[in-house]
Order: sequence, then C-alpha cells, then structure tokens
Amino acid sequence: MSGSDRRTGRPFERVLIANRGEIAIRVIRACRELGIETVAVYSDPDAASRHVRLADHAVRIGPAPATESYLRADRIVEAALATGAQAVHPGYGFLSEQAAFATAVEAAGIAFIGPSPLTLGSLGDKLSARRSANAQGVPIVPGTFEPLPTDDAGRMDEIVREAERIGYPLLVKASAGGGGRGMRRVDDPADLPVAVATAAREAVQAFGDGSVYLEHYVEGGRHIEVQLLGEEGGRIVALGERDCSTQRRHQKLVEEAPAPGLTRDQRRRVHELAVQVARTVGLRNAATAEFLFSRSGEFYFLEVNARLQVEHGVTELVADLDLVHEQLWLAAGHPLSDRALAAAAAAADPVRHAFELRISAEDPSRSFAPMPGLLTRWREPSGPGVRMDSGVEEGWRVSGDYDPLLAKLLVVAADRPAAIARALRALDELETGGVQTTIPFHRWLLTLPAFIDADLRTDLIDRAWDPAPLREAAARRAAEIVARAAGPDAAPAQLPAAPPATRPGGEGSAGWVRPGSPDWAHAGRREATERWP
Amino acid sequence: MSAREPLRLTVSGPEDLVVELDPAALAGAAHREPEVRAAHPTPRERAEGRRRYEVTVDGWVLVVDAEPAARAALRERASRGAAASGPTGRAVLKAQIPGRVVRLWVEAGEVVEAGQRLLAIEAMKMENEIRAPRAGTIGTISAVIGRPVELGDELLVIE
Repeated sequence: MSGSDRRTGRPFERVLIANRGEIAIRVIRACRELGIETVAVYSDPDAASRHVRLADHAVRIGPAPATESYLRADRIVEAALATGAQAVHPGYGFLSEQAAFATAVEAAGIAFIGPSPLTLGSLGDKLSARRSANAQGVPIVPGTFEPLPTDDAGRMDEIVREAERIGYPLLVKASAGGGGRGMRRVDDPADLPVAVATAAREAVQAFGDGSVYLEHYVEGGRHIEVQLLGEEGGRIVALGERDCSTQRRHQKLVEEAPAPGLTRDQRRRVHELAVQVARTVGLRNAATAEFLFSRSGEFYFLEVNARLQVEHGVTELVADLDLVHEQLWLAAGHPLSDRALAAAAAAADPVRHAFELRISAEDPSRSFAPMPGLLTRWREPSGPGVRMDSGVEEGWRVSGDYDPLLAKLLVVAADRPAAIARALRALDELETGGVQTTIPFHRWLLTLPAFIDADLRTDLIDRAWDPAPLREAAARRAAEIVARAAGPDAAPAQLPAAPPATRPGGEGSAGWVRPGSPDWAHAGRREATERWP
Repeated sequence: MSAREPLRLTVSGPEDLVVELDPAALAGAAHREPEVRAAHPTPRERAEGRRRYEVTVDGWVLVVDAEPAARAALRERASRGAAASGPTGRAVLKAQIPGRVVRLWVEAGEVVEAGQRLLAIEAMKMENEIRAPRAGTIGTISAVIGRPVELGDELLVIE
C-alpha cells in the first residue's frame, strides 16, 4: 500500500488530468480537496479554458483536433513525466478506456486511475464483455457474439440472414463504442446495409476500430446502470443504480438516481448482477455496468463502462459520497473506505433523489444537432440542493472539435417530486445566450406527465418530443419582446451604439485584405458571426 | 428605425416566423422580461433600416430581424418583380449546422423524392443526414466531400 493515512495524508502529491471541460474541472476539484497538485493538458483552443486556469500546472499537447491532442497518449505520458505527476486521471471519453493508454501510463511508472489495462482490454470490446457475461449466466440481449464482416461486401447476405434470425427492430452497435457513437437503429431490413456501413464508419472515426455487431432492440425498455467500486484484487461493491432512459440518438440527456419504481428486490438483483459481471473481469477502481430493463421486469446486461461516467454525480448526491476521492485513494492502493462500504450497504434503500440534466450545445428543434458558437451569456444557478458541474463561462467559444456537453445541472432533494421542482427552479435561474442549448428540452421533459409519473423508456423522446409548437410560442414572444425593445419606450439611443467599422481579418490581421481573396471571405464570415456585442 | 411605426419581425429557425407588430399597440413589458441584445448592424442593414436582435425565451436562443413593415413591403414588391421563378422554383438547401461534408448520395440532374437522403454533415463526431425537403431535380451542388461548411452555407439546389 502506498500513500499515507486517509485522515492525515494524501493519496498522491501530483496528478495529471488527461481531459478537458467539465470533467477535468470535476477531477481538479477533488484533487484540491485532498491536497493534491494538479496538472492540466490542453489543445490550442483550450489554452485559456477554465480547466487550465484552475490547475496548478498546464501542458500544451497539440492543436484543436482531438486526434492531435487529447487522443495523443504519447504526449500525455510525456507531459506526466515532465511534470512529475504520480498518477493520471483519464476522465471519460478520449483515452479513458483505452488499454494501450493505461499500459503506457503504467509502463512509465505512473499510476492509472481506473481499471487495469487487462480489464480495459476485455471490457473495451463490448463483444467480449457480452461473451463473458453470457458464460457467467448473466442474461444478455439476443444478438451476435462476433464482429460483422463489414469489410467484405460479398458477405452482406450473411449479415442480412443473421439479422433475420435475431429479429427486427435491431441495433447496430460498435464493439469499441460508447456515447451512442457508431450506433444505429434499424426497423426496415432494407436500411440494414447503409446502417451497418454508417455505424462502422462512425466507429472508425470515433474509436479507430470499425467492428460492429447486432443486438435485438428491446421496445419500450429502460436503461438502468449500476455504479461499482473495486479494490485492487479485493472487494467489489455496488453503490446504487441510475436510470438513464431519457436519450436521443442513444445518447443520454437526463439521468436520475435511484431508478424510480423498482422494488427493493429488483434493486438488489441488478446490483448483484453488476457485481457478478465486474468480478469476471477483475474490476478495480470505478466502473459502471449497464442493463436494459424490459417492460416485463427483466434485466439484460449491456456493457461495462470502465471509467467514471458522465452521470456519476447523481449517485454521489444520493449516496453522499465523492467518487473521485474514492478513485484517488483506490488508485493509491488503499482499501474501500468505510464511507463507501456504508453507502453500498444502504444502496437498496435510497433516502434521496437526484437528477442530472445535460446542458449541451445542441438545437433540440433540429434533432439535437450540435451548435458550436460563442456563448454570449451564461449565468449558473445555485441555492439549496443544486450542483453545477460546468466547463464553460460567459464569452467562451464552444468548439466544433469536441463533445457539445457544456455543463451538467445536478439537483438533489428528499424525493422525486421535490427534485423535479428543484430542477425546474434551477433551470429558470440558468441564463444562456448566443448558443442554442438543450434547456428547452429539459423544461418540457420536467413537466411531461409520463416523466412525472416515472413512465420512463429509452424511446420516449422519439415518441413524444415535438419541438415545433414550443419553439413557435417562444418565437412569438421573442418577436413581441423585440418589438417592445425597438418600440416607443426604447429610443434608438438606448440600443448599443454601432462599433467602429469592423477590421477585416479580425484580430492579429496585418492590415486590409483584398476583396475576392480567401482571406476576404473569411473576414466576412468572421464579421457575420462576431457581430454580437 | 423610427420608433412608432409597425415593424416586421422575422424570427429565424428551422421554419422562419414572420409577424408584423405595432410597438405602440403592445402592452408594457412584464417584470421578468428576458434581455434583448442588439447586433452591430452590417452596412447593408444600416442602409435598409433593418436591425438584428437576439433574445433567449424559455431556453430558445432566438435571432430576430426587425425592420419597418412599410419598407419591408416595398422591398418585397421590388424583388417579386425581379425574380422570374414562382413558388415552384428553386429550393436552396443551406447548412443548418456547421461541420464537414462527409457523404454525398446524389448527383446533379438526379430526380429526388421528398425525404430522400441527400448528404451527411459530420459535426462533433456525429454524422447528420440531410434529406430533401421536397421532390425535384438536383441542380447545382456546392457541397464538396471533405470540405467544411458554416451555418447557412449553400449545400445544393433542388429545382
């Protein structure tokens, strides 16, 4: 066992956080609370970001594209060595579940805060996780156990036959996947070839591995997952479950803990299944086992995410536990804390309810298409039971190079209705401008009768979300508000004065540019997009 | 623009909302009114007496263009005379998200049905399919595979 006593010491002296945005800040906060120095890494557009400013040290790792910065394992290991970091926290996404990265970190004599490279290797491949769960007698969703032969056009017939055997509707899933990427739902056999090809291509881009497989789509199911913590070679505990059924494009939008409507026995059952799966892969540190909960009350194992989940905060709020603190102590070789063991013992009897609303730069009226841009207004909510895990601030430019998640609005209250009321109150306090976010969706969801009644299902948004009337009502009000602002009570003098003529080329420009040159077009575009005061 | 004349307001979105309102006839502002921000006008907007505003209502970030209704009507008449094509004419498809064109399923001259898959734009690691808003024949294709597009860039024309 390394490190020192929990009450007086700290697990590490210095930790590098191989991530950006809200999760980097989340980890930095935990480190600060434990007296650990932090090292941030950043790409060029993130040089002035909050996560860099909050860290004690920061190392540039490359230009904007993730493949040249946050996915560069070599540069991150180099940065850790150069700054004398004793451990690396990978956050979620990027390199967090890549066995090769964990191996490289450990080979450099640095602790990897997460499951072992061996575990990551066997879990990163969802197919192998399916196979081992199946071998353990843990129920899984019907589907294939081997990757589809996508690189051989002549074998499409085989795929079509396999699909027939499993039965439509189907999901095409990336075996290296996560976050809904490389996943496609197929209802009509005619759409299968395109869906398989698209999923494979997305999977190559997102994960560098185009392997995809088929799984039966369980209609009306719920997505329920279990938070796990494990000691090095020792105990594994379940800290309670979360319901993450509210998804679009198979990406979660809202999560809550506990999963509403489960009996105590159902909670115990899914916690036990999760621990059983984790044992087969020798889990250490933090991970999450995901299950599909059918309308007939059966749990089917989906996959294990061998990292801290985006939505870990709802479990923290209900279990009254800091999962990143636990991760850091576990990575330093300490056993599970008394607090974690107590939380696990009480996991089937939750006494609070928590929600997480993902505030993303996406337009809910355009199928949640990502919307990069300049955040001209950003005021965060606060007050009792509200926690804002945010990676942005007013004036921040939301880049198209990364995930559109801006912040997570978390609330906790004594029960589910109180938590819903609190979430709505907090949403009212959250002010945004310049970039369309998922806020209108959340406002609608929290007042939707099916959601209030906890009638949750993963296809809820597809079935019920109809943004056009909501947006139109808002647009009508916006027109009135503007007419009033531009009307008799607002003389033009009250409106912001026009600025001096825009300098073509923007900041750093050497001078005027010739109309017709590419620079000129760029300057025009800049003028068009940066005309907001 | 003069403060007392009726205004034409265009709220842009997947479908633009166009309304005419007389500021003098509107009730006073509510206590909890969202803040309105005015964009710096472009030279053309200044010349035409238009202004662009942004206001966030119920979480919807809305861009509103305002101009005197009388002037808008005048401008409309002028442009209607100039344009040869009627409502059955061209539909110009513009990028609703910034990103990179990664797929192009149609070629110029191809006849497409409403809802048919035309192209895909990758943004934030997701492929977003763009489908035909109506039936027609594909005219000019401005989108090029591998090339980035900004919000509002022309992608292709359906004749």
